[in-house]
Amino acid sequence: MVKKRERLEVIRDILNAIRENREIKPTRLLYASNLSPQMFKEYIDELIKKDFIMLKSSEDEKKTFLLTKKGFDFLQQYKVIENFVQNFGL
Amino acid sequence: MEQFYSWVIGNKDIIKIFYGLVIGLICFFIVARTDRLFRISFHKGIRYFRNAFLFYGIAFIVRYVFGALCLYNLIPRNYYPPASLIFEFFLIMAGFFLFYSLIWKKIEAVKEDYTSSLLNSKILIFYVMAIVISFIDYIWQSYYLLFISQIILFIFASAISYNNYRKNGSKHKFLKFYFTAMILALFAWILNAVVALYFEWNKGLLTDVYILNILFFILFLYGVVKLTK
Repeated sequence: MVKKRERLEVIRDILNAIRENREIKPTRLLYASNLSPQMFKEYIDELIKKDFIMLKSSEDEKKTFLLTKKGFDFLQQYKVIENFVQNFGL
Repeated sequence: MEQFYSWVIGNKDIIKIFYGLVIGLICFFIVARTDRLFRISFHKGIRYFRNAFLFYGIAFIVRYVFGALCLYNLIPRNYYPPASLIFEFFLIMAGFFLFYSLIWKKIEAVKEDYTSSLLNSKILIFYVMAIVISFIDYIWQSYYLLFISQIILFIFASAISYNNYRKNGSKHKFLKFYFTAMILALFAWILNAVVALYFEWNKGLLTDVYILNILFFILFLYGVVKLTK
């Protein structure tokens, strides 16, 4: 059985998918995140609220997600955060 | 060894100030390091862990620095009992925060998002308990409820951290030290209670409590420094 991803891992995967593509359409990000649409929306809302990602609308009304500086910082520090949380059982 | 204890007892006021300052500084260092991690990750566990050491830091600074200022007559002596009340309140809250950082995942839903980790509906219960315990102890002029609450708390915290160590100890080495820290804290509280109840605050035995406490904070300092490099 595949192990359920931790919340931090899901966030890392979403942010990584955006970073790898520089900017990414919502549908492609939904596939890349491997989440249900409902869970995906919850995570995306949270990441926008916490200023990790932003939603850009182009002139032809196409929407794409971009990574913010906070999002980059999170990815850079991810290993430290993950290690800390697991070692302290938080 | 006997000389060491006599020296400690002979210089107890100075040592108390130093002890409070050292623990206070350790705590504020841990708070600074973990706050940085929290601001990047918004991880609730890190947030509650940080709060625990913020409250420990405040408790020790209040108890020893404020207490020592009273003892040296730098501020009126009648400030000392309230300082003791504040110390007890912050100490109990710190224990609750540390314990809650271990169990929050089982209590809070992923969607629950508080604007404040210092005051929300879950934490409010701890505040009420801490206020009641510290106030009753203050009226009784004792630390009995503090001892009982902290011994129970650290029995549970030891069990949880042992379970974490058993499950993931081979992958995450600090879990072993975390469990050790919980056992040290549990022993420190038991010893503190025994010294207070049966040995009339024997200074020599109290020194052992201080040593156990310092070891507890040094273990956490070691973990935080090592894991946030």
